Amino acid sequence: MKTYILTRIGLSIPMILIILTIVFFVLRVLPGNPVLAMLGPKAPPSVVKAMEHQMGLDKPILVQYADYLKDITHGNFGQSTVTGMPVLKELMQKFPATLELTIFAMIVAVFIGIFYGTLAAYKLGNPLDVSARIYSIFVYSFPVFWFGLMLQLIFGVWLHWLPVSGESSPFMTPDPMHTGLYVVDAIINGQWDVLKDSLEHLILPSITLGIVISSIFVRMVRANVVLTLSQQFVTAARARGAKEKSVLFRHALKNALPPILTIMGLEFALLLGGAVLTEVTFSWPGIGSYLVSRIHARDFTAIQGTIVFFAIFVAITSILVDVINAWINPRVRY
Amino acid sequence: MRRSLKFIFLYVLVFGFLASSAFAINPKSYIILGTTDKISSLDPAKAYDYLSDNILQNIMEGLVKYVPGTTRIVPGIAKKWKISKDGLVYTFYLKKGLKFSNGDPINAQAFKFSIDRVIRLKQDPSFLLSDVVKKVEVVNDTEFKIYLKYPFAPFINILAFTVSYPIDPKVYPKDKVYNGIPVASGPYMVKKWIRGQQIELVRNPYYHGKKAKTPIILVKLYRNANTLYIALLNGEIDVAYRTLLPQQFAKIQKNKKFVALVGPSPFIRELVFNVKYKPFDNKMLRKAIAYAVDRKQIVKDVFNNQVVPLYTLIPKGMWGHRSVMPKHSLKRAIKFLKKLGYSKNKPLKITLWYSPSHYGSTEAALALTIKNQLEKTGLIKCQLKSAEWATYVDYWNKGIMGMFLLGWYPDYFDPDDYMWPFLASSASNGMGSFYSNKKVDKLLLKARKIVSKRKRARIYYRVQKIMTKDVPYVPLFQGKQRVIAKPNIKGLLLDPVQIFRYYLLYKK
Repeated sequence: MKTYILTRIGLSIPMILIILTIVFFVLRVLPGNPVLAMLGPKAPPSVVKAMEHQMGLDKPILVQYADYLKDITHGNFGQSTVTGMPVLKELMQKFPATLELTIFAMIVAVFIGIFYGTLAAYKLGNPLDVSARIYSIFVYSFPVFWFGLMLQLIFGVWLHWLPVSGESSPFMTPDPMHTGLYVVDAIINGQWDVLKDSLEHLILPSITLGIVISSIFVRMVRANVVLTLSQQFVTAARARGAKEKSVLFRHALKNALPPILTIMGLEFALLLGGAVLTEVTFSWPGIGSYLVSRIHARDFTAIQGTIVFFAIFVAITSILVDVINAWINPRVRY
Repeated sequence: MRRSLKFIFLYVLVFGFLASSAFAINPKSYIILGTTDKISSLDPAKAYDYLSDNILQNIMEGLVKYVPGTTRIVPGIAKKWKISKDGLVYTFYLKKGLKFSNGDPINAQAFKFSIDRVIRLKQDPSFLLSDVVKKVEVVNDTEFKIYLKYPFAPFINILAFTVSYPIDPKVYPKDKVYNGIPVASGPYMVKKWIRGQQIELVRNPYYHGKKAKTPIILVKLYRNANTLYIALLNGEIDVAYRTLLPQQFAKIQKNKKFVALVGPSPFIRELVFNVKYKPFDNKMLRKAIAYAVDRKQIVKDVFNNQVVPLYTLIPKGMWGHRSVMPKHSLKRAIKFLKKLGYSKNKPLKITLWYSPSHYGSTEAALALTIKNQLEKTGLIKCQLKSAEWATYVDYWNKGIMGMFLLGWYPDYFDPDDYMWPFLASSASNGMGSFYSNKKVDKLLLKARKIVSKRKRARIYYRVQKIMTKDVPYVPLFQGKQRVIAKPNIKGLLLDPVQIFRYYLLYKK
């Protein structure tokens, strides 16, 4: 197992290195001068040059690249050209909001995916199965921002049931902060009104993101459960007189789970990136909103840092998923 | 195990209810303001965009300030001032015993430190001071002198702008931009600033003037007009200031749950020609384009009549304004284009650049409307190209764009701020027009040195006349301030200098 984990980590390093390299060179090839974006159009050339020197932008590109790799390996993501703050610090401030949204969206997606997918597989060819297939295609084609906007209009503007923007109402933040996850911090502090407010703010964005992603899960679960339901051990279970509920969930679903888990794990990592549009639609103060605002400001240190952060997160998650998979599935060789 | 879990659960429940009972806040004690603007910096030496400046205008105060609702300048932190006969030395006498929000003194040394620092840091707005200020000399704690390089009539207006606000020398670094929580000298101070998300202002206990009417102002930043609009409709914000789409504003004006106010604005939009870029180096061609542009159609179709057409660079309502630019005439545009040898078979091929989000969500529609107007001549083929703001700035500095859309907010309320940056040879590069005319340079410098408004207005008239011949810009329209609020919000003031004063707002 140890060798397997080390091999997986070893394989992730070139992937991260490739991403680091692409991000670095693409940002430098793109038009737009980050120094001018920082100093404004009226900055005198002497100041622009001095700033370029200070930021190391006057060095040969390969030297810049080497410096950049060295900094990243030391955990230095650079300083934001807009705020002057360390990018990693800014990312760590925004990350809990994105993580919280992703976890809740994942809960919605997994819940819908497992139940709808399993039932569709069980009722193969029935209207329920057809509806699941239609649901998957229909929901997958939803533009996230449009779906979010619709939910905002219905549950916010028309019904006034739920808030439509932000992570919390004014003056409703957990105090003190422990993890940065509002729901968790509110529970730790025992601030139930803050907890209620945080959950209310989470409902619409996590449903938006969760429903869109659930379409993949519904299809995945359905396909895998259909496959396992035709296996001999299911027939054997039925022959033994096991109840249909037990056959479906204990035998069929359980055995269909390993490939589904892999996909869910990877989707979780990808959801972090996919949250960008949802965050923008719901003014959710996470990494997605951060990335969009920094792209507009041509804050290339922040853009670079965010993409690297995502890449590392995806790599770690995929390692974890592989390890869990290897652990629960003895057929996976280490 | 189960028993201990139960105990923890009960403890958390009881403790939680006790803790949360102290959380309530009186709804009248705060106002939530929503905007789509962004805060780039709250260091007066760097801040040079609307919201950054507007926050500073509510948390800081300069030597002088505008009387709310007017363009009249009155003493702020200064008790009084004297201008030498030659207009080169300004002596300021400060009010005694004034303090920053952290208790440090606001004195002459702080002003010298602030002005020197702005000039030293050479950030975006620094030219406003570095172009004219020679040196600052402290006489004593409450008296100091500012020496100018040449007499500059609108100088006092610059002192009312954010770049001249005093900062605390003990907090702000001498040679670096400050990114922390600002130290205040105005009615409010910053309590909490979550970048890109919201900023919370509370009353500054050391402010020497009238106390802010509402204890807390929360400014929430929205990504775009749609998110702001929906938050407003859902009652999550009390005031929406900048910027809803014209259609959204028109719709909400009819909604009885809100109050909509429209006020004057000195904000202008213009079409810029890089006069060194072919084919825009030809005056007659620029004139033809100026004739082809139909401002009235832009105002009606793109902005739902929520802006007004503008025929010069100086906005309406400001002294010196003369509508001198030619009105729309397709016939004349065609005549000029034909004179230049263009025909249906050999049309003029040009590109119009715009930045899709910097000036709001209407920008693409504005560019498209102008393109269609130009192509209506039948002799122009216009291609549209866009670039995000940072790239856009880079392009116009490098002279890559021949014709592009730009806008202007004044730094100080004086016609000089609408003439000098656009038309003076030393400044027009910054606008991407690279326009240069020695006669215009002479006239503009002359106007800067004269105190008499009447004489200066006459000079600006001459400059505007020259502009109609050279056409380095086509002024398009002048904006209007628009604000939407819940009916219980009072104290909304849309004044001509476009300072949105949070400290006058209160809930009824």
